[in-house]
Amino acid sequence: MVAASSLIGELRGSISDESARIQREFEASGDGRACVSQRTRMVEEILARLWRDVVSSEESRSANFTLVATGGFGRGWLFPFSDIDLLFLFNDRDAEQAFKDPVRRFSQELWDLRLKLSPASRMLSECERYDPNNTEFTISLLDCRYLAGDRDLFRKLHDKVIPKLIMKESKILLQGLAEVTRERHSKYGMTLYHLEPNLKEAPGGLRDCNVASWLALISAMDKLRDWPEASSLRPPVRKQLDAALDFLMSARCFLHFRHGRDDNALSWEAQDEAAARKIGAPGAEELSAADWMRIYFGHARSVQRTVTQLLEEIPDAWSALYRQVQSWRSRLTTADFSVVDGLIFLQQPSALQDPEVLLRLFHFMAHHGLKLSATTEYRIEQALPALAATPPRGAELWLYLQETLLQPYAADALRAMHSLRLLTLLLPELKVIDSLVVRDFYHRFTVDEHSFLAIESLHRLKQSQSEWDKRYGELLGELEDPELLYLALLLHDTGKGVPNGNHVQTSLDIANQAMDRLDVDPKERAEVVFLIGNHLELSATLRRDIFDPGTVAAFAEKVGTPERLKMLALLTYADIKAVNPEALTPWKAENVWQLYMAADNYLNRSADQRVHTEVNDEKLARLRSLAPVTGSKFKAFLEGFPQRYLLVHTAEEVMRHMQMAEELGNDPVLVDLKRGRHWYDLTLVTKDRPFLFATLSGVLAAWGMNIVKANAFSNAAGVVVDTFHFTDRFRTLELNLSEWARFKNSVVSVMLGEADLEKMLRDRQRSEKGVIAKVKVETKIEFDDSSSATTTLVQVIAQDRPRLLHRIASCLSDQKCNIEIALIDTEGQMAIDTFYLTSGGGKLKPEHQKQVEKALVAELKSE
Amino acid sequence: MTKVEAVIQNSKLDAVKTALQEIGVEGMTVLEVRGHGRQKGHTEVYRGREYSVDLIPKTKLEMVLPDALVEKAVQAILGAARTGKIGDGKIFLSRVDEAIRIRNDERGEGAL
Repeated sequence: MVAASSLIGELRGSISDESARIQREFEASGDGRACVSQRTRMVEEILARLWRDVVSSEESRSANFTLVATGGFGRGWLFPFSDIDLLFLFNDRDAEQAFKDPVRRFSQELWDLRLKLSPASRMLSECERYDPNNTEFTISLLDCRYLAGDRDLFRKLHDKVIPKLIMKESKILLQGLAEVTRERHSKYGMTLYHLEPNLKEAPGGLRDCNVASWLALISAMDKLRDWPEASSLRPPVRKQLDAALDFLMSARCFLHFRHGRDDNALSWEAQDEAAARKIGAPGAEELSAADWMRIYFGHARSVQRTVTQLLEEIPDAWSALYRQVQSWRSRLTTADFSVVDGLIFLQQPSALQDPEVLLRLFHFMAHHGLKLSATTEYRIEQALPALAATPPRGAELWLYLQETLLQPYAADALRAMHSLRLLTLLLPELKVIDSLVVRDFYHRFTVDEHSFLAIESLHRLKQSQSEWDKRYGELLGELEDPELLYLALLLHDTGKGVPNGNHVQTSLDIANQAMDRLDVDPKERAEVVFLIGNHLELSATLRRDIFDPGTVAAFAEKVGTPERLKMLALLTYADIKAVNPEALTPWKAENVWQLYMAADNYLNRSADQRVHTEVNDEKLARLRSLAPVTGSKFKAFLEGFPQRYLLVHTAEEVMRHMQMAEELGNDPVLVDLKRGRHWYDLTLVTKDRPFLFATLSGVLAAWGMNIVKANAFSNAAGVVVDTFHFTDRFRTLELNLSEWARFKNSVVSVMLGEADLEKMLRDRQRSEKGVIAKVKVETKIEFDDSSSATTTLVQVIAQDRPRLLHRIASCLSDQKCNIEIALIDTEGQMAIDTFYLTSGGGKLKPEHQKQVEKALVAELKSE
Repeated sequence: MTKVEAVIQNSKLDAVKTALQEIGVEGMTVLEVRGHGRQKGHTEVYRGREYSVDLIPKTKLEMVLPDALVEKAVQAILGAARTGKIGDGKIFLSRVDEAIRIRNDERGEGAL
């Protein structure tokens, strides 16, 4: 036996020389695999020397005692500053006692050598049992390797004990492994797209590579009742995983050498250096840090996909309730897809040649919250090259995309499409933000993941119990076209992918390209452009005094309409929430809500501000370009209309109204009826007269139509433009094309006094039984004299019911009120109607207001 | 050493921060707070429902300063945060016995 101190001195010297040599070699070659094997060999040699010196120089003298490498060391992957996993294995208690001292000395000397040990001592019989509180130990045995001592004892462990244990406990072990993996993933927000990811622990990192191998190995051993001869992963998966491992191993060695310790965080500084040194990508051209991170995310993505699929395949590892849900899900099977254990399979493998089936597949996924099976993913990958030659585009693609965006699990479907490279094939505009790291102190995720998270956070509002989520969830439910908000969220930060620019402007340019590709109609496009162009506007206003009416007015005027305001408030809420899990504090949620509420009130109370045709407004410019010859007529038509009229109608609609107004000389009442996506739109142009609004709403009620929204405006020449958006409760128009003409004629003849509205209404009432309201809405009537200089506002909130608007409007007209502007809205069971009233050419006097209120209360009380 | 706590309007944070940096205040803690003083809040009616805003969102700054800097800091905050209206906020000063830098156990004003 060599004197301990001199041996330690000698070994310390050789560790230091050898470590320096390994580091030099890594710096020259960048080969992580070579580095970890060399370090493994070096440590093995040290252990062998110490074993001979401290425990026994001959194998026979250490009967019943074995030194086993486990975990990463067992795999032969010793990273520069990783712990060394060792198992001191004894046959029985006697052996444990006999080798107590040598083991202590052996460990101590390793510590003195500054090698970081992670030792475990077990008797063979203890290895036969699975301890649910220490899944890690059993898992570490899967990588066990003989180092020194009693070979027979090791053979017993390797050939008998471990296979027997796995056979007996495979299900529980798989379950345990799945649980610790999911716990670890949830610590990282279940996403791999971190701006500064942890290379080892984050989803898609090195730990997940191992989890994938272990899951496959345990399943294989359970079937074979022995160790499999080769890797149990399917060859294409193995190949992807090997490529990922090459990269991750090099990157981890690089980080260890760079930090001088077991620190696996890929900080921004480390990313810069790794890119400059082309770590893990030796053949690459010049790489920016963002390029290098894209390579990293590409590998992490394939690792995470493999692990997720393997976790999903774990049989019977779930609770009875989960199984029940899964079996219920299997009933979701359609002609195209079948569902087994929550995974989607294709009924016809060749079906994906049809791009529509592919698009339907992701819609199905987004709707039901299912995952793709490995074979389905494989088939999609196979189908992509053909699809790339003629990718779907235009309105059809937009139709599928919007239907997918509207589904509750849209974000998961988008992530799956993205990870399979389908999303960027369909919308190449998103390539610039693929796995993009933008260095920002607040953001925690890459730009693509941030956009998916924002979409996800809106969908989750519906299930959330938190007070703020509920409040914003109500707003979301009220949107006319939520798909436009989701599209805006998907594209709002694309500009971040283009360096050195104002990202809002660049995002707009990119979004316009994407919307060209999708052939989004101009009206919808205008909304998306507004949202992206102003996506920072609400947050910027929060930095000013939001209790100052001037701030609110300026903000509200910039936004323009209540619908846009709702979408912008939701977009801001989702955008902040997706920055990082703590970003949306209740304080911020409250501020956003406060500003929303104030701006909404402002918009409803300032609708009578007149149009100024002289100002340099985008819509006026568009109108001028559409009607170059009508110059003075155009000015005369707009004269006297409130600003709100221009905000709620597109330039094309205003042009149409103008044409209708010109025809008023021949026809006293002009009616236009169109079917929109959500409801029918009726436009009426005529000369103002008493009871006009009440009569019109009465005709609609008599036909059984449910008025959802309405606007009534008039210009200085007394031309009235009323628009009603209604749903067809009895599908009269939908099922009978001939009824369209009869309906329009009926509107005209009532207006001209040729038909008896009261009789029509009585007939309708007879045919309808009373409807019982599901939610009780209390009637509220509020007068406001201060918001408008020339009119009195009255807001009526009441339970929505048939003929409600007709009754309110008739009551107002009976009370000698002239309805200057009407803004009619319905939210669920609540009707929210705002009227701008005048009487005798001015505001309503206080006693008149009291009279009107009394009349309204009486009218709304009677059934 | 003195601890300076200032409750200010949210909209004044940038101005106050700049003013403090200009006189050499290097660090501060910014908190999102809600509260009210004499500005008792108000009630906003939205869709017939009343939302009372009795606790108004405000921003609070905290910093511990060497005594020589305290009056300058107070003047900087006053100058940047004052609008003259109710709701401008308040500044509180209190004595601090000791400051310790955790990294190296440095004590006193040197640790600030």
